[in-house]
Amino acid sequence: MKFSLKRSMIALMLTIGSTVQANTTITIASFPDLDRSAKVAIPLWKKKYPKIDIKVVSLSYADHHNAMTTALATGANLPDVMAVDMGFIGKFAESGGLEDLSKAPYNGLQLKDKLARFSIPLAMSGTGALSAMPTDIGPGALFYRKDLLDKAGVSEEDLTKSWESFIEVGKKIKASTGAYMLASANDIKDIYIRAGLQDGEGIYFDKTGKVLVNSPRFEKAFQLAKQARAAGIDSKVNAWSNEWSESFKRNKIAAQMMGAWLAGHLHNWLAPDQKGKWRSAVLPGGVYASWGGSFYAIPKKAKNKALAWEFIKLMTTDKEQQLSAFRTVDAFPALLEAQTDPFIDQPIDYLGGQKARRQWLETARRIPAVDVDKFDPVANEIVNTELEKVLEQGKDIKTALTDAKNLIERRVRR
Amino acid sequence: MTISSSTAVNFDPPVATMPRHRKLKLWDWAPYVFISPFFILFLIFGAFPLGFSIYLSFHQWDPAMGLEAMKWVGLENYIFVLGDDWFRQSLWNTIWIAIVSGAPQHLIAIPLAFFLNIAFGHWRNTVVGMYFLPFITSTVAIALVFNSLFSREFGVVNQLLTHLGHLPILEWVFPSTNIDWTKPEYVRWQIAFVVWWRYLGWNTVLYLAALQTIPRDLYEAALVDGATRWQQFWHVTVPLLKPMMFFAITLTLIGNLQLFEEPFILTGGTGGIGQVGKTAAMHMYNTAFVESDFGTASAVAWLLFLFIAVLTWLNNKLFNHSGLKDH
Amino acid sequence: MQHKLTVSSIAAYAVVLGGAVIMLLPFWFMFVFATRSDAEILSVPPPIWFGNALLANLNQLLERLPYFWHNLSMSFYVATATTLANLFFCSLAGYGFAMYDFKYKGTAFAIVLGTTLLPAFLSMIPSVLIFTLFDWMNQPRALIVPGMCAAFGVFMMRQYIATAIPKDLIEAARIDGCTEFGIFWRIIVPLVTPAFGTLGLVTFIGTWNNFMSPLVVMRDMEMFTVPLALRSLAGTGQVPYGAIAAGSAIAVLPLLVMFVLASKRLIEGMTAGAVKA
Repeated sequence: MKFSLKRSMIALMLTIGSTVQANTTITIASFPDLDRSAKVAIPLWKKKYPKIDIKVVSLSYADHHNAMTTALATGANLPDVMAVDMGFIGKFAESGGLEDLSKAPYNGLQLKDKLARFSIPLAMSGTGALSAMPTDIGPGALFYRKDLLDKAGVSEEDLTKSWESFIEVGKKIKASTGAYMLASANDIKDIYIRAGLQDGEGIYFDKTGKVLVNSPRFEKAFQLAKQARAAGIDSKVNAWSNEWSESFKRNKIAAQMMGAWLAGHLHNWLAPDQKGKWRSAVLPGGVYASWGGSFYAIPKKAKNKALAWEFIKLMTTDKEQQLSAFRTVDAFPALLEAQTDPFIDQPIDYLGGQKARRQWLETARRIPAVDVDKFDPVANEIVNTELEKVLEQGKDIKTALTDAKNLIERRVRR
Repeated sequence: MTISSSTAVNFDPPVATMPRHRKLKLWDWAPYVFISPFFILFLIFGAFPLGFSIYLSFHQWDPAMGLEAMKWVGLENYIFVLGDDWFRQSLWNTIWIAIVSGAPQHLIAIPLAFFLNIAFGHWRNTVVGMYFLPFITSTVAIALVFNSLFSREFGVVNQLLTHLGHLPILEWVFPSTNIDWTKPEYVRWQIAFVVWWRYLGWNTVLYLAALQTIPRDLYEAALVDGATRWQQFWHVTVPLLKPMMFFAITLTLIGNLQLFEEPFILTGGTGGIGQVGKTAAMHMYNTAFVESDFGTASAVAWLLFLFIAVLTWLNNKLFNHSGLKDH
Repeated sequence: MQHKLTVSSIAAYAVVLGGAVIMLLPFWFMFVFATRSDAEILSVPPPIWFGNALLANLNQLLERLPYFWHNLSMSFYVATATTLANLFFCSLAGYGFAMYDFKYKGTAFAIVLGTTLLPAFLSMIPSVLIFTLFDWMNQPRALIVPGMCAAFGVFMMRQYIATAIPKDLIEAARIDGCTEFGIFWRIIVPLVTPAFGTLGLVTFIGTWNNFMSPLVVMRDMEMFTVPLALRSLAGTGQVPYGAIAAGSAIAVLPLLVMFVLASKRLIEGMTAGAVKA
């Protein structure tokens, strides 16, 4: 196994070096909207490698990750390059089925300083292997309706200086405009549990796998969510539901915390008529967090590893490509070079001429390198279930968190 | 478990009257040939996955780590699942939804098929077709439409209900404020309704196909005896429908206890608040793909299999008990 | 049959037709959505009449899924082949179970039923291992061959044949010197057409809508079946509902045609005359 691997690596390096075989095709497995940025890259790729074709295979978000799980399990239908979303990076990084990109011939860690500081550690496995390269990041922002705030006589500063103040503003807005401050009280919890984290700390688990949900951080997060629910400032709808999109249209949502890419969605389809009324602000209470992000990895059993690496380098470290992905699919660049482009300082019409990209960039620089765990999705599901019980059935917060801790420990029992 | 033939075969083979030295008759081995394609395919494509999943259920395995990452844990997965509140709750949810959506399907489908069999003339197929449409509507469309109809603030269902709630007399029955359909007490009803809606037409088609085989002259004979329409239904139709009822109810039982798609789509994969809409199959899926624990998921599958097998067997017993004969 | 228009029968007609309209609604919406923009589809209450975004939706569909017509023909090929194979093999096996007594019949039938009780996605990974062994990955035969004789179909044909075919008919044929397969081919097959209609219909629809098997078997987008291709439009962020609705509407048309064909079979039902002959 190892021997043949080495041999094929050498053989491939040779082919890249001199005689490129005609009509080799490399396969990229991806999902929307990330697949569009890969398609955008094809002309650039063709300039460098005119004889090598790129085939992008795209599946729905969940289908893609399930298919990749099956492919890694069986070694069948593996692509040369595998896209991995932030939500799955913990799981795939630990799987051991992906190439360690920190080793030769890739030496991916040499590119570390070129990329957003917090993004590389996300793709590091517990054993220190670098299993994927970041291509885009999602700095978190608070989007709000300036016109509704004006109507209620409150300022952006009132909104962001503290969570307590955020809830107060919500009450005023609800009273004077009838709009809700939040789609779901869950959003507050999601952000607050990421507050005050240092580099290398995890959200739900520490490095040793100890469960952290029974902590003041979660307690406060639950309290804030409960206060928001009690104040009646959340409209109890889930993001991406049709009720959610309708709420935007009917001016029922005054603010939404999400990744910076939400601006594109608001502009394209959620609220195209509200052009100029929206603004972007930093998250309340000085939290810096990331919403999503995408990575590229090479399976250990892939056929064209050297070419796959060339493609990944194009996707992650080519300034031109990073910017065109930013323009076409709102994928915020992971590459620092791309972040210094004049494009960053262009005013955004939809946000009333605000130079919001600059603000998102500042946020991106301050996001801590949080440690992800394979079991984050499980912990997340359990915490959400317990929060529902607190909000809907009046369950005591301390009890709920103790239950959550026990449940998580039970479910990730090994 | 053995499923005794539900058809009492009184086939008295002529073999008995033949001299002893006659070679075996064709019809002694013909049935084995006839049923062999199923078993050949099953051996190639079914037996290995089955064995694999039994083997897997005694292991701990995250599939993304490749085949070599399996770790033997013995009965640990089974012990874990049996003591797991989530599994028990998902089983209870499954049973609840299975009954609430399943029983009305057949109670309505049988009389409906009976009526369609004698009414509507050559429009019959159009009407049957309308009832059948939910069965072929794509799940994406179903999810969009139902989420929209059941929307709390703007949904048509709530508008209708509150409208009725403002009328005198009816205000005792209908709510005056909007119902939040995502609340735990409603989620299961919503899923059950969608499942009922989706499979009613299918069952109607099954019963209609069976009704076609009932000779007209039986009804005519009943008419001559002065039987009412209702008596015809009760004494002619129902007994002759028994084999098809057994088939359709078994199918509903198996299908409903493995219910996955509808609750998964309607609750966005989570099962809703407090997981009240999470079925056993969904629990299995989440165990496999969210918790990436295929070993435990296989254990869940086999426990569910046992549970369904027992119920299917009971169902079979009940039908045999009620005298299931073909003619 | 003559029936008088009594109050009760008018009421029955009204209830049945009212029910039919409720059944029809989501289907109706699917076609309406195909002609509406994403924002319109997501509005609540949803639009109930056609809009003018059909062309835009189709353009978007074909732009995002350049192989959509390939996918349709792939679906068609897989569903048709699976259906024909099932009609033959399931009725053969169903006949074996319904009309013969043989050793281990109960056990054999229990196995048939038992195989329907295990969830499909558990066999995802082992199935892939088998297909890799046979070198069937990315081939339509991996979708067709394993499902050529579905347990459900065997069960259904057995119930139907037991109900509809009198034993003495077979006896008579045997005495006339028919071979066992001849009895099946010349006597049973013509008599079970209504069940063929039902079985054909459900097999075709089930295969057409299945996305689990194609998901693990197919790797190239031109080899995808329709449901997989349509699902692949949903990812992070904006879901092109209009394009998906247009695709779903196109994909459901063959099923409608299938239903019309099947219901013809359904009403050609066996008559008493055929049996008494």
